[in-house]
Amino acid sequence: MEMEEKEKDNETTRPSNARLEVCDQRVKIKKWHAIAQWRWDTGNNDPEDDGEGDVCGICRVPFEGCCPSCKMPGDDCPLIWGECTHVFHMHCLLQWIGTASSKQQCPMDRRPWVTAERKVD
Amino acid sequence: MSTNCRRRLIRDFKRLSTDPPGGISGSPCPDNIMLWNAVIFGPADTPFEDGTFKLMLTFDESYPNKPPTVKFLSRMFHPNVYANGELCLDILQNRWSPTYDVAAILTSIQSLLHDPNPNSPANAEAAQLYRENMKEYVRRVRATVEDSWLDPDEQVAMEQDSAGQA
Repeated sequence: MEMEEKEKDNETTRPSNARLEVCDQRVKIKKWHAIAQWRWDTGNNDPEDDGEGDVCGICRVPFEGCCPSCKMPGDDCPLIWGECTHVFHMHCLLQWIGTASSKQQCPMDRRPWVTAERKVD
Repeated sequence: MSTNCRRRLIRDFKRLSTDPPGGISGSPCPDNIMLWNAVIFGPADTPFEDGTFKLMLTFDESYPNKPPTVKFLSRMFHPNVYANGELCLDILQNRWSPTYDVAAILTSIQSLLHDPNPNSPANAEAAQLYRENMKEYVRRVRATVEDSWLDPDEQVAMEQDSAGQA
């Protein structure tokens, strides 16, 4: 999880308005607006390398988006990691594994698909 | 109605138009995204050089979990292409993966052109000539290269003409 603050509204206080406790404070924060940003930990630290971020190899939608069957990204459309280190939208992978022609193989390397507990480094 | 397949095809088209691999082109029919026309240019330094081979790809709603049906519209002379234009290519059958897209399919077919697999012949005559009589193989392929410059409809008309004259 990465957090950052944006859009601070600054106002320079005039000396006449300065109170004792803020007498050495040049700016007064009138309001602030917090913005949070999240990203799946896919092990790719350079998500901008192809301009679109990391995408699911099956549906080609960014991991931070959701699979084509879902409407909202987030915990309801999670990622799934294999022991082979490959990662997909869980729904995309399960749909593929559910077909007979998948032979329960990873779409990337054709090794038997074994779901990992979490990200494999 | 499932639109997953259509969304994926739109992404495939975007990739094909923004970052097209050399020597291939493809686009969905204007009124049906499930039906694509494609052209593969014969790779240089192969008997297929200068050919403009047209193909049709037919997708169904199970794409990309199932491969599309791919068929050459141009007449082909190739060990792995059947007389009706259908291909014998492992990635379009038992070695399909949902990570393939239209660009990957067309690139694979392009490399199949100069690298046939004579062990799974779809055209026995082409496979035999490829193995035993390269000169005649090349001559037969060159004839299809010239045919490929015509519209597939024109080709049919020409074949009917020559059949009528015979």
